Amino acid sequence: MNIIFREVDIPNIHELDVYVQNGGYAALKKAVGMTRADVINEVKASNLRGRGGAGFPTGVKWSFIPQDNPINYVVVNADESETGTFKDRQIMENNPHQLIEGALICAYAIKAAAVYIYIRGEYWDVGDSLEQAIADAQAQHYIGDGIFGSEFSCPVYVHLGAGAYICGEESALLESLEGKLGQPRVRPPFPANKGGGLYGEPTVINNVETLANVPYIIANGAAEYKKMGTEGSTGTKIFCLSGHVEKPGNYELEFGKSTLRDLIYTQGGGIKGGRQIKGILPSGGSGPVIRVNGNDDAILDTPLTYEDLQKTGSILGSASVIIMDETVDMTWVASKVTKFFSHESCGKCTPCREGTYWLDKTIDRIMMGVAKPSDVDLIHNVANNMKGVTLCALGEFAANPILFTIKHFPEDFQAHVNGVQQPIATTAPQRGARTTTAATVAAPGGD
Amino acid sequence: MLRDKYAEQIDATFAKYPTKRSAVMPLLYLAQQAYGWVNQQGIDEVAALCDLDPTQVKSIAGFYTMYSEKPKGKYWLHVCTDLACALCGADEFYESLKEYLHADADGNSDDGLFTVEHVMCLGACDRAPMMQCNFHFHENLNLDKAQALVEGWRQESLTSPE
Amino acid sequence: MATVTVFIDEKPYEVPAGMNLVQAVKEFADTDVPVFCYHPKMKPVGMCRMCLVELGTPMHDRATGEAVMENGQPKIGWNPKLQTACTSNVSEGLRVRTSSALVEDGRKNIVEFLLSSHPLDCPICDKGGECPLQNLTMEHGAGTSRMMFEDKIHLDKHVPLGDLIYLDEERCIQCGRCVRFQDEVVGDPVLGFHERGRTLQIVTVSDPPFDTYFSGNTTDICPVGALTTSDFRFGARPWELTNVPTICPHCPVGCNITASTRLDREAGGKTIIKRMMPRQNEAVNEIWMCDKGRFGHHFTRSQDRLMQPMIRRAGGAQMLSNWGEVLTAAAQAIKGAEGSVAALAGSGISNEDGYLLRQVVTAAGGVRLGMWKPTHAGAEIVAQVGVAVGTNLGELSGTRDKDGNIVEYDAILVIASDLEEEAPIWRLRVKQAADRGARVIVANARPTRMDDFASGTFRYDVGNAASTFAHGQVRDDLAKARNLVIIAGAEGLTLEGSHALMQAAADFLTQTGHVGKVNNGLMATFPGANWMGLSYLGFTPQATHEIAANPPKVLIVAQADVLYDDPTAAEWLSKVETVISLSLFPDELTTHAAVALPVQSFAERDGSFTNGERRVQRFYTAHNPLGEALPMWTALSRILERVNDARPKLSAAAVMLEMTSAIPAFAGSRYTELSKVVRQSPDVGGTDMYYGGTAYKNTGGLGVQIASAAESGSALASGVTMVDVETTAVNVASGEVLIIPTTTLYNREQTFRPSAENLMELRVPAPFVEVNAADAEKYAIADGDMVEISANGMSVRAKAHVNGAAPQGTILLPRNLAETASPMMITAGTIAKVIEMVTA
Ligand SMILES: Cc1cc2nc3c(=O)[nH]c(=O)nc-3n(C[C@H](O)[C@H](O)[C@H](O)COP(=O)(O)O)c2cc1C
Ligand code: SF4
Ligand code: FES
Repeated sequence: MNIIFREVDIPNIHELDVYVQNGGYAALKKAVGMTRADVINEVKASNLRGRGGAGFPTGVKWSFIPQDNPINYVVVNADESETGTFKDRQIMENNPHQLIEGALICAYAIKAAAVYIYIRGEYWDVGDSLEQAIADAQAQHYIGDGIFGSEFSCPVYVHLGAGAYICGEESALLESLEGKLGQPRVRPPFPANKGGGLYGEPTVINNVETLANVPYIIANGAAEYKKMGTEGSTGTKIFCLSGHVEKPGNYELEFGKSTLRDLIYTQGGGIKGGRQIKGILPSGGSGPVIRVNGNDDAILDTPLTYEDLQKTGSILGSASVIIMDETVDMTWVASKVTKFFSHESCGKCTPCREGTYWLDKTIDRIMMGVAKPSDVDLIHNVANNMKGVTLCALGEFAANPILFTIKHFPEDFQAHVNGVQQPIATTAPQRGARTTTAATVAAPGGD
Repeated sequence: MLRDKYAEQIDATFAKYPTKRSAVMPLLYLAQQAYGWVNQQGIDEVAALCDLDPTQVKSIAGFYTMYSEKPKGKYWLHVCTDLACALCGADEFYESLKEYLHADADGNSDDGLFTVEHVMCLGACDRAPMMQCNFHFHENLNLDKAQALVEGWRQESLTSPE
Repeated sequence: MATVTVFIDEKPYEVPAGMNLVQAVKEFADTDVPVFCYHPKMKPVGMCRMCLVELGTPMHDRATGEAVMENGQPKIGWNPKLQTACTSNVSEGLRVRTSSALVEDGRKNIVEFLLSSHPLDCPICDKGGECPLQNLTMEHGAGTSRMMFEDKIHLDKHVPLGDLIYLDEERCIQCGRCVRFQDEVVGDPVLGFHERGRTLQIVTVSDPPFDTYFSGNTTDICPVGALTTSDFRFGARPWELTNVPTICPHCPVGCNITASTRLDREAGGKTIIKRMMPRQNEAVNEIWMCDKGRFGHHFTRSQDRLMQPMIRRAGGAQMLSNWGEVLTAAAQAIKGAEGSVAALAGSGISNEDGYLLRQVVTAAGGVRLGMWKPTHAGAEIVAQVGVAVGTNLGELSGTRDKDGNIVEYDAILVIASDLEEEAPIWRLRVKQAADRGARVIVANARPTRMDDFASGTFRYDVGNAASTFAHGQVRDDLAKARNLVIIAGAEGLTLEGSHALMQAAADFLTQTGHVGKVNNGLMATFPGANWMGLSYLGFTPQATHEIAANPPKVLIVAQADVLYDDPTAAEWLSKVETVISLSLFPDELTTHAAVALPVQSFAERDGSFTNGERRVQRFYTAHNPLGEALPMWTALSRILERVNDARPKLSAAAVMLEMTSAIPAFAGSRYTELSKVVRQSPDVGGTDMYYGGTAYKNTGGLGVQIASAAESGSALASGVTMVDVETTAVNVASGEVLIIPTTTLYNREQTFRPSAENLMELRVPAPFVEVNAADAEKYAIADGDMVEISANGMSVRAKAHVNGAAPQGTILLPRNLAETASPMMITAGTIAKVIEMVTA
């Protein structure tokens, strides 16, 4: 079922009146009638976990904000820049008011003075349409002074980034929003602490998808929400499916009700050209790669939950599932992702700045077939040395493609250093607009 | 002068934030729009508007990839060649587009009208190959479609020089 | 102060609560945590990751909050990841491992990462020998590089950031110290990072570029050889240098500095100063110095110096002479003057020189001891209510509540002074105080740079500085302060006006109970390095004005460039029968003089200065004398021998010893006392050189501060009523403007000219005058016009800057920029555009 991608069932829900006709902003109305503590407890009880990657319990995060502090902020993380991630964009394009409503509920719960939605600069058009949605909601007094006759007043602003993956990292995002270089901050203090948030004030930072879940939770109650998914992974999750599948796109699936196999073969229409599957990056470029030995591999039966994907030695993360078929040279994949991180390293801390550059240079030589077998050990060791000592997680992410590709696909690396060049296979550009893929989403199980 | 040219936008921008410094990124977009790229003139004006030192503004302009610190063609084509797109032929698409535009090493077309560059993931992985033109999406492309778009823009630039 | 117990490598230490961990380890456990980006004078940023350590904290039961015990000991939860010490503060029971295998491995890796793109040019690098990166590579490095050489990034190695500082992009390790120094410490964020990732580089696009008065400090704190000065780069290798403790001779701050000297080929194998660097004295200049002190040392070895005694022969010609002859001639003139002997002491001569000068004059029955330049009054008032012993601008601050509002504050009033130009390091430290929450009020008749860092500014009518204390708001703000320091100048004031201001300041401080205790009291931007010292010896500006009014038979001029400083001097000097000149340079005055005696600069001899905070500080001989120059005190003591067969003085130390009994103020200033040092916090010395080169360690002494009368409880200057402004005002006829002489840090005074005319010529302003827009219109002057300013007989030319700086009816004319003298004291005069004669 779709609690986020409601456009699948309700056309034009991006329009304010359609949204309102279908229960829109009722949750906000309900929330401002509740005590702040009750709102936070409801979200806590729902076990909603952050959809931005870290999976931190959202209600708990909100409860860290000191209630007596005069000024707090809500910042919506819409920087969506992880390789293979394109879900927040679709939420903002097709169901913007649900995000706005969720953000306002959070703002009410933590007594925020303002909501800032930080959108990656490349989503220029999305930013425009979102500003329009905000203007509409303002005109109807869903945003602004004394919402629903309550004391609660809170403006919502859109802030465009300008091309920097690191600005998805919450503290770098705050720096960027303050007009500084998008470089991560030293923590503690954390964003929720005095001195650690936006303009030094306590701040909640949530991902777009996370907040889009909130109206449902308030409207229907945590108990109802928890009926979806598993103990550890409640609700639904949007999976961004891309790469070598017939029907790439966003699929909103109930946690635990489907497996990787369902996602790839039922939803995604299977591997392009009926080829065999070789590897999966379940969390974009940053998460560990999963080795799959063909379409019958049992690992494909892993249920889609935080806990089960953990068992595969990878993570669910932002659920940006990139599929590689048998023709793909996994060393090339590692080199692509490594390039990404060396391009996106902010340069603030030594191991990440120097390490990503070094890895990139070395894997280039490996790809060119001019590297020695010992270079594989070198690159593995350099990646290892980056782990655990960087200022933020980007350094960790950057080490993963090397470490896990060498772990799971040693033969692909060996082939290069033994002078054998593999062809880098790709398939022809494929068609199919997202609306169609979204429309074909069958509601698996449940109601 | 940006101040006169975009008076309303600038005031609206400042109204959004408690500090002037937060306006530096939005204002840099205005400067880029006004001068075609982020030149010293733009840097100095933004610095004055935000009560910053020009060097602080230069820092911002240099950190973020969407600000160009050198002149570019009227149409900036950004082709995503990141992993997901590359799996769907984005690298080849990018090469052939460059060829079609007779782009030099810096990606500038011979007529100077276009600047084509490859970029990291743009969040359209399910619609590869894709590109952005002046930050607007064009998806599910192949060379024919791209050529059609390019020619369209050529026409446009003839009819509306500015 | 509350303390906590921390365990550093298993050993317990009592450490001030909340202290930075890197400092705690260094100062208490006497071992060190290697760092690159961390600097105790700036906020920690955790960038370089070199300071990795293992951290453990006592575990607490979630429910009860009770400490979890394990066989009698608190159970320690060790953090699985290495942590950066620089971003950690000490807390009760904290455990730190600074050298475990895990830590060593982490450091080795960080060093390898840094070297992966660092050039291998240590053999030709200025920093080589005092480079933290080089040292730490030796200690923790891997030895061989695993980075393919052709993979190394290659960048520009000679990027001028300004005309004094060069950047080597390849050497830069992106620690951001230089950027943060300019932003946090100076308040001129003209350096920034450009691009990101491995292409992150230091840039400036400011106009002017990296051209602040403090730029040199970045080359000290840069942990590699990326930043170098155009003065020193490729000049010498650190291990060839001998570091001599000395005191900056240029202003009242009295920065403790180190002269790095070496036998130099260019100087015919003689020792010369290769560079000046700061020497730590937390109470005076911390670890900073300004660029004037750093680059203004070239005069000590200028070939234009006066090298040999000269004497005026019958017929008036100045001829080379020898010491015997000139000393005898001087002594005879003095003896023959029947007591009509007076002296003018340049405020840059040492305490020892001043003492002998005074002795010579008194021995001859003279009484008038004049101070040069006679611009500031009230040194005797500072002696009474000056900042108390132990005062440290670095301690002034404000206390904030949990919402960050200031609830209690110290205050600093900067009045009638352009502090950045008159005492740069005070301006730096006052700005820091403001950042710490101190209330800084800047009062002047016109805007100054200090306004940018003030919490409040106050404009008084020209000449009426004292009225500041009559202003309710200002009074309240200052009276409420926990501690109050007043820094007074004399800009735009007559000598009486200056005195009125000092008196009013003293009254206010006394009435509000801000005297006689640490971090309270008065100080002033007296020109020169030793005004206060000379004041204690009886030299006054009032005496100077009397001398000018009725000149003596014999006038001894000690290192005072009278004719260049004062346009009226030629007139009154001509009435003096015999001028005895003790001089560094063969200036105009020496040609007037009967005898001219070459004296040594501060770099060629031992001596002491008393700074604006009344701290007596010792300087040591850095290089051999030029020509036949003698220390001034020696020359004078030889004259004294010939005047009253006094016993010869054998050393500067001996002179000071005599002063300790002869002059009460100097009672505690024996050289042995002056050269005492104690360990300072933050500890920036030591062999690690993490915080800035080899020169920081203070081995020369911290000096001795002279107690103010208020401390010793004796009578105060309080109660004297404010001098009526009218009596201090200058009458201005119609068609005239009020000429306000101002100060620029860089000028053409003798002791700076040699640097000004080569190394820093681009930074020394050409003569200019600031004119109010209304006046500009009145006198038909446009911005940029060449104008002529005339007052009582003299005239100078300068470029007009038409701006808002000068109050209407006044013009701001900096001293000592033109080739000839411009007004020294505030005076009425005319200004007119220069009409260029077009000769056919
Ligand atoms: C390098 C890096 C990039 C990140 N990028 C994003 C992003 O694009 N969008 C996002 O929502 N979270 C991103 N995150 C996670 C955020 O730091 C933060 O955990 C998240 O926004 C919290 O929101 P949530 O609790 O709702 O997930 C990133 C983290 C790192 C370390
Ligand atoms: S120039 Fe020196 S101080 Fe500045 S960032 Fe580079 S290494 Fe650090
Ligand atoms: S990170 Fe601690 S010294 Fe640089």
